Order: sequence, then structure tokens, then C-alpha cells
Amino acid sequence: MPRLFLVDSPGPGQAHAEDENRPPDAGIAAIERTDPQEEASGQVGQIMGNAARDGRLRGLVDGYIDFVARVLRNAGTPQADVDDEVQRTFIIAARRLDDVRVGSEKSFLLQTALNVAAHARRTIARRREVAADHAPDTFDARATPEQLTDQKRVRHLLDRILDQMGSDLRTVFVLYEFEEMNMAEIAEVLGIPAGTVASRLRRARAEFRARVGMIEGLSKAERDQ
Amino acid sequence: MSELRRLLDESDSETEKALLHAGRSYRSNRETRAKTLAALGLASSTAVVAASTSAAASVPFAKLTGAKLLIAVSAVGAVSLAPIAYHELHHDRAPAVVPARTVASRATAPVVLAAPAVEGPARTAPVAKTGAPAPVPRSSVRAGEVSLAQELSALDAARSTMARGDAQGALLLLDGYAKTCPQGRLKLEAELLRIDALAKSGQTQSARRHAEAFLRRHPGSVLAARARGYTEPRGSSDD
Repeated sequence: MPRLFLVDSPGPGQAHAEDENRPPDAGIAAIERTDPQEEASGQVGQIMGNAARDGRLRGLVDGYIDFVARVLRNAGTPQADVDDEVQRTFIIAARRLDDVRVGSEKSFLLQTALNVAAHARRTIARRREVAADHAPDTFDARATPEQLTDQKRVRHLLDRILDQMGSDLRTVFVLYEFEEMNMAEIAEVLGIPAGTVASRLRRARAEFRARVGMIEGLSKAERDQ
Repeated sequence: MSELRRLLDESDSETEKALLHAGRSYRSNRETRAKTLAALGLASSTAVVAASTSAAASVPFAKLTGAKLLIAVSAVGAVSLAPIAYHELHHDRAPAVVPARTVASRATAPVVLAAPAVEGPARTAPVAKTGAPAPVPRSSVRAGEVSLAQELSALDAARSTMARGDAQGALLLLDGYAKTCPQGRLKLEAELLRIDALAKSGQTQSARRHAEAFLRRHPGSVLAARARGYTEPRGSSDD
């Protein structure tokens, strides 16, 4: 639908023709309409479009921001980058809002977040030397300072374990164990057969448990010394 | 298809539970929400983001604290996980200061990188003027990088210039963006804008070539549909 993406300087008549083709709650191109004159000229329609668009977008943010942040983080986005990647995910969603069917917002955001996370992972190596986390982790506000430290350590440990999984296994593991999606949902979102989801989950669990078992065995050995 | 119980529900290992809980209980924070709303051009409301705490949040950690966990982490480093894990634990924070060279080199670019706007760059983006470098605010910029808000502002400036019918001006601004943010996070967005601007300025062949190159390089991008609009007869593109 190329018309969605023409950045706006509509010729006479053109904009209206396009607007009529849009669902009433859409108007994502509004995010690109930054020209004051244009905004003034189409004020009424613009306000209506903006209100609907803003409402839907805000609803997406309120409803799914934790979900998006968690998927991004567990899919391998460094803590320091989560804020930016959350924004990126929602910006993409905003620009594609016309394409997002009502009711399929969550799976659209999930697919977008997985793509964004994959992109973020690819850039990690390039930035490794400057990527020391400087954004604070998000913690349970009621945790004690000691627990905060421990939560941070647990998170690092989890990152290390997940980082060692192949990204295919990791994605299935994260969606099943953390997002509690069922296998059919995962298969649909990832576009892979359900049997593949099941086998990836099996392998991912085996890897996860093996690593944790090794950690526990070793820490027990150290304690026993 | 039979569904397995979740590991967190069936595990009897405290370490496993703590790790799984950490993955499941991750939350965004208010700041993230505010920034996201701003980036979308939705002024941040006073509504409070849902509390990020949960009653069970700290339970598993209570059983896996202090020395025990330290041992666990160091054991990981010793065996098979990346040794840097342990190293990283001791480098939790980096000073949020941009090296001087970063700011200096950025300042020569023709794109005005506006400070992140509270209401969001999409609505409030200033119109950029070439040759008027603005200082890059240091506090919000990661070393060696321009902030996302600044990238957005730069692209929004190009977009509004194009919206006024000045496609050539937009191309100039996009050149500036490419120079300023060679590894920009919105690089793909910028490429698409360039294609838009080329088409608008009548350089349809060039727009088409760029679009085809974009599709070759990023066939799976969520922006691919947009590029496809320039390689196919108008109206035939689906998503």
C-alpha cells in the first residue's frame, strides 16, 4: 500500500482521496505530518484523525509496553538499549498502524520487537567497547539494597545463559517460559511448524537445565571445599 | 499438541526458579513509558504507569542471596559462559559523558540535531537550517552516539522540509543525517525518506534504483513494503 508511505506534501485533492481510503481510526501518516501549514489547512480532519490515532497508540503503549520491553530484553537487547528499542518498536508500530488489524496488535508488536531485538543483537559486537550498561535495571521497588544487587546478578546470569542459546531456541524458550504463550501461538507468530516449536523448546530447556545444573553443581562443590 | 507445564511451575531448583522469575518479571519503568509517548508525539500524561512491583517479585531471590549467588556467578565464568559476565558485574555503570571528540565532530554536520523535545519530535520538530550547527546535549547521549530523539528530530526536519515541497532541501538534510549518524538506528528510515525525496524531486529512476537496492539489502525489513511501493506499479503492492 504505497500510498501510506508517501511523506506528505499532498497535491490538491490527493490527500483527501487518500484519507477516504483509510480506516477511520488509522491516520498513521499523521506522525509524519509535521508541516505547520499543512496541519493548519487540514485542521479539522487532522484533529479527528489525530485523536483516533493518538488514542489507539496510547492504548498500545499502555497495554503492551511491559510486554514489549520484556520481550526485547529477554531476546537479547542489552539493558542500556531497552529504552531506545522500546521506542523504536512503537515508532514502527505507529507508522504501520494502518496495517495492524484490531485484535492483532499484540502479535504485531511481538514480531516487531523480535525483529528489533535481532537487529540490536547484531549491533552489540560493534559497540562492545562502549556498551557498558549505564541505565539502571528495573527492580522491584520494595526490594532491599542487598536484593537489588542480587536481582541484578541473577539477571546477568540469565543473560549469559540465554546468550549461549542459539537465537532460534532462545526465542521459543522466551515466548513459552516467560510470555507463557502456547505452542500454537508461537508457531503462528514465528511462522514455523508446531513440531518445530516443540523440538526447539525441548532443546532449549535441556540447554537451560544443563547450564543451571552445572552452576549448582559447581557452587555446591565450592561450598563443600 | 500437548502443552508442557512451564519450567517455573515444575522446577524444584532454586537457581532455576530465580533465573526464570527474573526473565518473567522484567518490567519497563515510568521513564521508558514517558520517553516512548514523547517519541510518538503523545505528550506524556500524568497517569502513572502500572506499578512494576508484584507480590512475589522478591521471593525467589530471598533464597538465593549473597555469597551463594556470587559463587554461582563465578562458577559460570569458570566453566562455559563468557568470562566477561563476571567482569561486567563489576562495571555496572559508565559515566554518561560524551567524549569531546564526539560532540566536536557532530557539530560540523549540516543537520541540526535538536535537543530531545518534551512533547516529542514528531510534532514539534524544528525546521532545520543548513549550516547552523547546534550543540548536542551531552547528558542523554551515549558515548559515540547520537540519541534516538536527536535522530528522530533530524529525520523529522527532513520530512517537514519535504512536506513543504522542498525535496532537494530534504535530500541535503538526509545527506547531513547520513554523515552525522552513519550507524544511526533510524538509518533504514532515512533510506526510505531519501527514496521518497528522490521520487518527489522527479528523480524517479534514481528512486527506483535506491528502492531496489534497499530491498536487496533488507528484504525482511518492516520497511520493505514501503520500498516496494517504488519498485512496482503504484497500487499493486501488497503487504
